[in-house]
Amino acid sequence: MKDTPSPATSQLPPADAPPAAAAGGPAARRPREKRARRTVLLADRIADRVITVGGILVIVAVLGILVFLVTETLPLFRSGQMTGERRYTLPEPAGQTLGLGLDEYKTLAYALSADGRLQVFHARSGRLLTSGRLDLGSAPVTAQAHTIDRTQWAFGFADGTVRFADARFETTILSPQDLPTGLTPLGDGDATDGHAVFSAIPGDQYRQVTFRMELEAPVAVGDAQRAIAAMAYTASGQAERSVRTLATVDGDDRVALIQTASRTNLMTGERRTTVNRIQLPPLPAPIEVFGVRLTAKADTLLVADRSGAVFRYNLTDLQHPVLAESARVMPPRARLTAFDFLLGSRSLLVAGSNGALALYFLLERNDFRTVDGQSLVQARTFTAGGTAVHFFAPSLRDKSFATIDGTGRLEVRHGTSRKQLADFPTGLPLEGFRELVLAPRVDGVMALQADGRVVFYEFDVPHPETTFATLFQKVWYEGYAEPGYTWQSSAATDDYEAKLSLVPLIFGSFKAAFYSMLFAVPIAILGAVYTSEFVHRRLRGVIKPTMEMMASLPSVVLGFVAALVLAPVVETWIAAVLLAFVGLPLALMLGAYLWQLLPLHLANRLKGIPKFALMLLSVLLAAWATRALGPFFEELFFHGDFRAWLNGDVGGAAPFLFLLLLPLCALAVSILQQRFLAGLRQRPAGGLEALPRALGELGLWLLRAALTFLLAAGLAHLLAALGADARGGLVGTYVQRNTLVVGFAMGFAVIPIIYTIAEDALNAVPEHLRAASLGCGATLWQTALYVVLPTAASGVFSAVMIGMGRAVGETMIVVMAAGNTPILDWNIFNGLRALSATIAVELPEAVKDGTLYRVLFLAGLVLFAMTFVINTVAEIVRQRFRRRATQL
Amino acid sequence: MPDTPQVSPDPPDTVYHPMTGAEGSIIEIERFNLWYGDKQALFDNSIDIQMGLVTALIGPSGCGKSTLLRSLNRMNDLIDGLRLGGAIRLDGADIYHRDIDVIGLRKRMGMVFQKPNPFPMSIADNVTYPIKVDGVRDRRVLQETVERALKAAALWEEVKDRLRDSALGLSGGQQQRLCIARAIAADPDVLLMDEPCSALDPLATAKIEDLIDELRGRYTIVIVTHNMQQAARVSDNTAFMYLGRIVEYGKTKTVFTTPRSRRTEDYVTGRFG
Ligand SMILES: Nc1ncnc2c1ncn2[C@@H]1O[C@H](COP(=O)(O)OP(=O)(O)OP(=O)(O)O)[C@@H](O)[C@H]1O
Ligand SMILES: [Mg+2]
Repeated sequence: MKDTPSPATSQLPPADAPPAAAAGGPAARRPREKRARRTVLLADRIADRVITVGGILVIVAVLGILVFLVTETLPLFRSGQMTGERRYTLPEPAGQTLGLGLDEYKTLAYALSADGRLQVFHARSGRLLTSGRLDLGSAPVTAQAHTIDRTQWAFGFADGTVRFADARFETTILSPQDLPTGLTPLGDGDATDGHAVFSAIPGDQYRQVTFRMELEAPVAVGDAQRAIAAMAYTASGQAERSVRTLATVDGDDRVALIQTASRTNLMTGERRTTVNRIQLPPLPAPIEVFGVRLTAKADTLLVADRSGAVFRYNLTDLQHPVLAESARVMPPRARLTAFDFLLGSRSLLVAGSNGALALYFLLERNDFRTVDGQSLVQARTFTAGGTAVHFFAPSLRDKSFATIDGTGRLEVRHGTSRKQLADFPTGLPLEGFRELVLAPRVDGVMALQADGRVVFYEFDVPHPETTFATLFQKVWYEGYAEPGYTWQSSAATDDYEAKLSLVPLIFGSFKAAFYSMLFAVPIAILGAVYTSEFVHRRLRGVIKPTMEMMASLPSVVLGFVAALVLAPVVETWIAAVLLAFVGLPLALMLGAYLWQLLPLHLANRLKGIPKFALMLLSVLLAAWATRALGPFFEELFFHGDFRAWLNGDVGGAAPFLFLLLLPLCALAVSILQQRFLAGLRQRPAGGLEALPRALGELGLWLLRAALTFLLAAGLAHLLAALGADARGGLVGTYVQRNTLVVGFAMGFAVIPIIYTIAEDALNAVPEHLRAASLGCGATLWQTALYVVLPTAASGVFSAVMIGMGRAVGETMIVVMAAGNTPILDWNIFNGLRALSATIAVELPEAVKDGTLYRVLFLAGLVLFAMTFVINTVAEIVRQRFRRRATQL
Repeated sequence: MPDTPQVSPDPPDTVYHPMTGAEGSIIEIERFNLWYGDKQALFDNSIDIQMGLVTALIGPSGCGKSTLLRSLNRMNDLIDGLRLGGAIRLDGADIYHRDIDVIGLRKRMGMVFQKPNPFPMSIADNVTYPIKVDGVRDRRVLQETVERALKAAALWEEVKDRLRDSALGLSGGQQQRLCIARAIAADPDVLLMDEPCSALDPLATAKIEDLIDELRGRYTIVIVTHNMQQAARVSDNTAFMYLGRIVEYGKTKTVFTTPRSRRTEDYVTGRFG
């Protein structure tokens, strides 16, 4: 190349021409030709680049969305991470500890000893801030109880009195100029004035946290000077008018319920307390009381014996409290080591000396043999480390709880997901531990030893309640009779537990798609076959754009029309609607056979618009007839009340089975006829007369219809006699916004897509195949059925898949018309809740980066995966189809 | 048909030679006119097609050979704006009579097209298609038909081991013979062939020609061809068409060797067309 003479090169106008091209041959010496080729090449290259870049950008965008969805959802499955470990020793030993508390921001903590010593200290550094002494009087404390948030305490004394205490952290936000001067730094950005803790928070502000504990005067609750052995406490009402409920067990195993109501006079500030003592039925045998727990609503009282027996009082009727159940929560010989409610006081956590750790629900079921029909049921167990668990600290946010086991290991678990949130080997002896507290935001756990040693761990678990199992498998939630797939993301109460199973939503999406496809596919495909194979060209020019215009109808319009217009209409005329499923096809087929009776010349003259108009007319006639016959049909089939029939109140199973079996029987009859009675349809040799043949076909069809009805009726009665019933399965209780309505509306939305793509596929079938078929003496219908449809099958299939993809992802129609009930139920007359609808409805209300927020992203990811798979299958089939089509 | 346009009063100026034929005519075309919309494609054509013989339609491109052939089994029916005049009779019955069953008519006329057009199904299914649409489901009958038709189309030996394979895997010539097998599977009376060899190489063409020769006598064959030698080789009678008119009709030998019309002579000697 180097020795190529330069003259040839110098003739080329642009200098950047490669020498190789210049030396290429005679063409290189003709600049005009060369230039023309250049611009083409350039345009080609530019187009190539633009298309490549565009394509890559699209792929990157899709991948980007995917990556975004995945990163948003990954934290759901993360387990805990330790963010800090502190150990220090309080100046004074805690001794017999009455209480330990930690504020929401993990800045301030307090420890209360039995002798009334109260130490308030900085949680992260252990620096003592204030140290005081509450005057608990002379009698020793024999029992203590507190509300789950540890703001209200009750102490029981040996003299049978009770003292209530109020412990509160108070938080104020300060601007920098309000910040007192002369603060002592505590580390971690905190500072103190010796009393409160000040922390810098985002937005150039400071948070001041103080602690205050107030002790009330003793209240005598016992009738004698008997020590209180154990106590449970719940409080309700406001500070000015509080109602407190205490349950006490005294030294003689007598169980009593004490209600105190306090009223503060706003004028004088005087506080008056009334005490109401209710003696509960005695325990069956003397016990060694381990603990007493009262539910938040004070309607159930549990008294636990060390041996693992739990006595349950039902307190719903305070006039007649009953000892409703004596349950064993431990195997024989094992002893109870811990016993407490989780948040919401509906799950009871028990631990035993055998290392067992289990959760019990109080359930109400018909098969329970107890007095009140309720019973404690073991819902799930946890795998403990093998040694007994001794301390419980329930979370006041969710179902998490902290434990300390025999080896001094400190663990935090979630009660529903069983996820281990934290696991800290403290290395301290179990015997030394006196108190355990979980930080209110479940991001720290603190334990106190008798000698004043404190271990304080901080950790971070973004979503303790979600695991793969809670999202996709059956979960037994408290209050439910059995494990199930439940979606319930919010409720009215604070202590509710979000139930986030995606299964009902996925099911809902598929249910909506399935029923709407059931409605849309036959109509769309038959419509496509009709327009591509039967309709006069001019009419096709009208029908196709009309159908395509249907696609431009906004789905939100379809949705509200379905919900507000269609749903009530279908509800009123449900029997007629059902009848129409049989009546319309029958009417159309009858019309077709009658059409055959027309003399050929007349048929030919009317085959354009008039034929189409006649078809419309027959549809309208059939619709009118079904409407008119609806009540009669309802009377005949469903005892005059379809909804009562659905509920199983009246009527037998056979009539509906008959309707279901009709299409199957029609298919069976026509197959049987082709198999065994083919001769009936064979043309008499040489017989070219049209009329007798058409009459014959009509007769044959009527015969077939009659046979179908008979067969369906027979089979329906047989199946009904065998105990089959569609109720409870495919059909059931009627709701106004149901899947049938969704099927209609969504069918309406997907019909144009399926129709258009299928019609294109049918049209792409080469004309010469139709000619071949017609030349063989096949009818138009046979040609369509045996040649055109099979040839276009993959195109039609991909049309159906694309329609299905749309139906699965469709949002507005399911939001508006589906009733949004997240249930696993195939019943077509019940509602559903689709993934897409859930995202649309709940995302605006979900807290950013909260569990629901991320689960909704996961729902989006699942939806993406579903539509991706469906569309990919459609595309693969379409590609194969295209390859085969080129062979034709 | 609905419209009966005016037929020209003059007798057609076709030259008729004596025809080969012993059994008499099966199709009679009588003063047949055809319009595509306003454009007339066939003018006043009258010929008789002899039973059991091979009749060739020749003529320059666009002269209406295919149109005439397709009129015989009413494949033109679906064309918009089609109008007809005159009559075509099959066994004496007017096939355009208003009470004629077109489907039945087509069953009596097998058709082979210019381009091989097997269905995208198996070889056996292609052959049995015409009798299946007739309602035949008896497996034995179907099997017999496959064998008989493929043998008649001289394809049996080549495909008997792969009857279940797709017909699209066959070569062009084999596909065309398959189409012939399909056309005769329902045992029609007449076989219409529209340039059956135009897409084939000489060897395949020779095979089809041999096949036509074998089918002679069993079926009445009407074949459109551009190949003069082919027409001369395979046909008994030949009709030469020009601009929608049949110019000369008679024994093939006569039309080729001693044509009376100047146009025919020019065409068969290759001077135009
Ligand atoms: N469907 C149609 N609509 C309108 N005009 C048509 C149609 N089919 C054919 N013609 C016209 O009728 C005339 C005869 O066409 P035809 O196909 O019969 O010719 P041909 O003799 O078979 O030609 P070739 O040898 O090229 O196949 C032509 O002028 C053609 O343009
Ligand atoms: Mg032609």
